[in-house]
Amino acid sequence: MRIVRYAIVSSVILGLIGWAVMSVAQEEDLLATSAALAPRAEGLILARCSVCHSPDLIYQQRLPKDRWDATVKKMMQWGAEITNDEANLLIRYLSARYHPGARESVPPLDRDLGKVEPLRQEPPAEDLLTGVASRGEASYANNCQACHGTDATGGHGPKLAKNPILKHEDLFWDTVLHGRGPMPAWGSVLSHQDIADIYAWLSTR
Amino acid sequence: VREEPVSQALSRRTLLAKVIQGLGVTLALSQVIPRAQAEEGDVSRSEADRLIVLVARPLDAETPVQEFASYLTPNSRFFVRSHFGPPPAELLSELNWRLRVGGLVDRPLTFSLKELKQFQEVTLTAVVQCSGNGRASHRPKTPGVQWDRGAVGNARWTGIRLRDVLTKAGLQTTSRHVQFQGADRPVAVTVPLFVRSIPVEKALHPDTILAYQMNGRPLPLLHGAPVRVITPGWMADSCIKWLTDITVSRDEAQGYYMQTAYRYPTRPVMPGEAIAASDLKPVEAMIVKSLIAQPQDGASLVPGPVTVQGVAWTGEGKVVKVELSVDAGRTWEPARFIGEDQPYAWRQWQYIWQATGSGPRTILCRATDAQGDTQPESSSWNPSGFLWNGWDRISVTVKA
Repeated sequence: MRIVRYAIVSSVILGLIGWAVMSVAQEEDLLATSAALAPRAEGLILARCSVCHSPDLIYQQRLPKDRWDATVKKMMQWGAEITNDEANLLIRYLSARYHPGARESVPPLDRDLGKVEPLRQEPPAEDLLTGVASRGEASYANNCQACHGTDATGGHGPKLAKNPILKHEDLFWDTVLHGRGPMPAWGSVLSHQDIADIYAWLSTR
Repeated sequence: VREEPVSQALSRRTLLAKVIQGLGVTLALSQVIPRAQAEEGDVSRSEADRLIVLVARPLDAETPVQEFASYLTPNSRFFVRSHFGPPPAELLSELNWRLRVGGLVDRPLTFSLKELKQFQEVTLTAVVQCSGNGRASHRPKTPGVQWDRGAVGNARWTGIRLRDVLTKAGLQTTSRHVQFQGADRPVAVTVPLFVRSIPVEKALHPDTILAYQMNGRPLPLLHGAPVRVITPGWMADSCIKWLTDITVSRDEAQGYYMQTAYRYPTRPVMPGEAIAASDLKPVEAMIVKSLIAQPQDGASLVPGPVTVQGVAWTGEGKVVKVELSVDAGRTWEPARFIGEDQPYAWRQWQYIWQATGSGPRTILCRATDAQGDTQPESSSWNPSGFLWNGWDRISVTVKA
């Protein structure tokens, strides 16, 4: 009985030591992995995770891979709009950067938004596209509603229904593409057609 | 001279970047807490700065522990835990807000705030604490908001007894649980609603109230306006904010926030171990805990008498002893209780420490309650990092 208890205790202690101590080579490998995945992963975090919560919730976690896996899958179940491939990329990135041995303050990423890889790539349109309001409603719900509220009536972000900016389509596009104040740039997330559709729908509100 | 020296240009650029960064944070914050500031007038921008923001949206922010030098925690400094954030203020206005009572009752009822206030008014002082308070101290780390020490506060709550409302509706004999839902909603409809229940015994306890005032002021938006549940002695996950629906039922509430989240193992568990659902029970009563509010962690002190003060509380019982140690827990000295002694509230304590010599010192504190439970050096690890009540500790430096 006693021996069994000692065996359990010592294996737990050894396990904890193994968990806490990480070789320099391992740490370098994780750093390289997270740096390589960062542009796409950070793009996903901004576009998909931040719909419901600010990314600071993610950055304060220090979890082993199985718990990151469970967390990302829970978020998918709860409606995070990511594909299986994107989920795998996120799990790989998060468990390389925010693992149990990572320091309290992990080295900063290059947060230059220009370096965040666009999720969709297409040449910029020559002229403003014609939007389809019915499609815009769905795009709005997936991307804008978290902050601007149901039916564009406002929330953490300003009310957009009948917002004066809608009278200045160029300023609307500028804000969506490049962000303004606390609003992030959506140029790497929404296609030009998406933006045109959202604009069309907002104009009907 | 036309050309600026390079270093000056750089430092200006850095400064500008910092200013813009700061502006971004300020803007983000003012966007996050807008309604409470604008309409409740309870959280001014400068006061909100005194909370430590862990998650900007939905807002999770804790109180710096030095605030706990005061018996009551001011509304504007009270920790905020959000699952989805406050609902639109219009929904909560006197005109629109209603409380519905249904399920296993003889008479389903609906109340306006004015009608609810017809019941006998009661006031009590109670600690409200997030189950995850202290989660950051668990090793290995567990997922969730990494609360340090300040996801707790002590406030005076005024409202009516839940028992009176349930009695008026008439509980049926099969009633076992009382379920609560608030007006807050997730961004996506695929996210489970925050629905919780408490056993009918706790619901009928004369001290379980539906509060509409906090420290003598109308409940602020961030704290559940116009009405929230207060279950004195229990963790805050049953203190549903923005309450709109009370449903009496035979079973515990279904859904993620009752059946998966806010559950705690009934036996010691190892990290990574699989735990059967039958070995998990809902987090309910608080456990004995204490905090050092003064001096602050990291303080520099001169040799001589130092007033160490703080607070201690437990669940439905009473704290009977607080002790301090300055020798890593080898010996303990009792602290003296000061101030008010009320059920469910925390007790303030004080200890005069003779700081001698010079160099770094660690001050530890632990409390014991009437059940004989004493804070352990470290709490049992559990997968969600709940109920941390390890010895509180601060590091100070004595400088002659």
